[in-house]
Amino acid sequence: MKCVIGGGHLRVFGRAIHAIARISDEFWFDPVEKGLALRSVNSSRSACAYIFFSSMFFQHYCWTAGSKSCQREKQLPLPCKLIIKSVLPVFRCVNMLERNVEKCNIYTNINDRHITFQLICKHGIVKTHNLTFQECDPLQAVFAKHMCPNVLKLQSRLLTDIMIHFPMSQEEVTLAVTPMKVCFKSYTEEDTDFSKAMHTEIQLNPDEFDYFQVGVDSEVTFCLKELRGLLAFSEATSTPVSIHFDRSGKPIAFSIEDMVLEASFILATLSDIENETASEQPPRFSQGQDSKSEKTSVDRDSNSEAIASRKPQWNGNSQNTELVAPRSPLAKQEIKIIPKISNKDTTGTEGTTITETDDYTMLEARPTHFDYHKSKLLHTGIGFCTWCITCVVSYLYKYCIFQFHSLFFGAVSFKEKDAINHILHSLATASDTEEDSVNMQRSQVL
Amino acid sequence: MPLSTQPPASGERYVLTASLDNARHLSSLLRAVHFQDHATCFATANGIKVTVEDAKCLQANAFIQAEIFQEFAVQEESVMFRINLAVLLDCLTIFGSSSLPGTSTALRMCYRGYGYPLMLFLEEGGVVTVCKINTQEPEELLDFDFCSTNVVNKIILQSEGLREAFAELDMTSEVLQITMSPNKPYFRLSTFGNAGSAHLDYPRDSDLMEAFHCNQTQTNRYKISLLKPSTKALALSCKVSIRTDTRGFLSLQYMIRNEDGQICFVEYYCCPDEDVTEADL
Repeated sequence: MKCVIGGGHLRVFGRAIHAIARISDEFWFDPVEKGLALRSVNSSRSACAYIFFSSMFFQHYCWTAGSKSCQREKQLPLPCKLIIKSVLPVFRCVNMLERNVEKCNIYTNINDRHITFQLICKHGIVKTHNLTFQECDPLQAVFAKHMCPNVLKLQSRLLTDIMIHFPMSQEEVTLAVTPMKVCFKSYTEEDTDFSKAMHTEIQLNPDEFDYFQVGVDSEVTFCLKELRGLLAFSEATSTPVSIHFDRSGKPIAFSIEDMVLEASFILATLSDIENETASEQPPRFSQGQDSKSEKTSVDRDSNSEAIASRKPQWNGNSQNTELVAPRSPLAKQEIKIIPKISNKDTTGTEGTTITETDDYTMLEARPTHFDYHKSKLLHTGIGFCTWCITCVVSYLYKYCIFQFHSLFFGAVSFKEKDAINHILHSLATASDTEEDSVNMQRSQVL
Repeated sequence: MPLSTQPPASGERYVLTASLDNARHLSSLLRAVHFQDHATCFATANGIKVTVEDAKCLQANAFIQAEIFQEFAVQEESVMFRINLAVLLDCLTIFGSSSLPGTSTALRMCYRGYGYPLMLFLEEGGVVTVCKINTQEPEELLDFDFCSTNVVNKIILQSEGLREAFAELDMTSEVLQITMSPNKPYFRLSTFGNAGSAHLDYPRDSDLMEAFHCNQTQTNRYKISLLKPSTKALALSCKVSIRTDTRGFLSLQYMIRNEDGQICFVEYYCCPDEDVTEADL
């Protein structure tokens, strides 16, 4: 793979990297015949980004490994997983890039597993960054935008002007639509102290939109962090933003499209607890580019390597999830008590509890912060009794399933899929011994 | 002028007296070498040299010539003392380090000799502060024996070309590798961090390159943690001279022009990273 980005487009590319950095620490660099795709999914699988640059975006674009003399296997482009932290310094100051950099060459070297970003700067200075990458198939979101009953399209400038009114500390916003009006408002959790909270609400007339289609009245709540990244990116391209969404609990997609690029950020939304039990859906998995990767031995090896390297993580998860005790009536009693405890008092325990809950909820698509608060207070609220804790864990598990059922994207490979099935299976058959181990582990932590 | 009425008169003899109408000229230079709290000051009739060392591998010298001062007198052949640089800087900026246009802190500095404190009289807007900083026993300084006849390669760059490079250095890399060569890549800075390697190449005909005198290809590694403090001097400077000698020792000389257009120098010496060179052999 080799591509050359001209100075003018470099700002757009840099902004894309920064926008993707909002999603996760890692991203996939996925060159295909028609262009270059950047993909990212966050660790809790509640946000996913896809940015595609068509070959026309580049001064020069060649997706195969280069010369005709290459062996067959080398001609296949490899999606490479890069750590965003290592790529960000290359595009650190986006506005400076435009001024100082004349062009940027990006090419992969399969032999030594490096991707090279070479910036040709003013004064003849050449900056070369050789970054190591991991070969693996990217995750893809399974989300049919065209099935969404609600579609809004507006200028990115307008959306930026709306979002600017929400303070940076605002983590989630609610978008409420009816055929008559659109409303963006700050989302606050029920147990928030309202005397301290600021509520912001912005109402818009359908005329404000370039395109307005509301099939269902709905209220969806999503994280702002990722959207802010997309907005900074769309500002660089000055393209309108389309919003596709359904009822609460179903994902929302923000997308932009241009002659030379397209981007979509898909975010999980919160759902109401009451009307969710019926509509629970099984997770869906997408098989990235599996058929392609099986064509070559090189690829397959690297895939299995990648899977192997990820496997312990999944095992770790399954161990943790196995610890979840069977759901007992006691758990329900606990739940009722919990919301009364103010989560303001519990911040001190953050360190220990967050890591645990992250494991439990990782399998579900969910907005990150939301869970943390709930689980934090669960753990501290009943710290005196280990038995209660197990109940709470099981509650937490149920809670996640019901509340965040929007599993709109899943694992990459068959092996992982199996791992998940295994987890779910073991959840159902948690034994007494496992319960005991929970108790022990918990009491250590608490 | 309140400073002239201050008591350092009345028969007391000072081995060092200096006065400066803008203390910032001194404090900004001292800040360029402030990576360790203790500094050794060495004053002669030519001016003051402030030396800071680290890990027996790095030495920074700030040269403040006598011409910078409005008044400068040294009674003995040389005067030497050690002082806490952090305290000295705090005192020099006691009226605030940010300068509003039109305001400046005037300074008079006196030292009576071995065992006595360094006295600072600072005046701004009619307010006078007197600071006495205890001096310490001077320690023996490193002699890098960096002799210009042993210099193999020398490059003079406009500082702006190096500023960005130093700001972007991959700090996960333990070393900064400097390659200087009469042939390609001429002048290269490389780091080897967790994420991979990065190279920065300057061609010899770049308009940032003021002078390029490379006689043989030399590649040396220096601890990045030792070189990082020199960024402070780099930020102030307009030009930098990069030299290496036959042993691979590095000299970085920063030319710093102050607000009045006077020129001062800050110099860093650094030893190459030995372990790596042995492994290479």
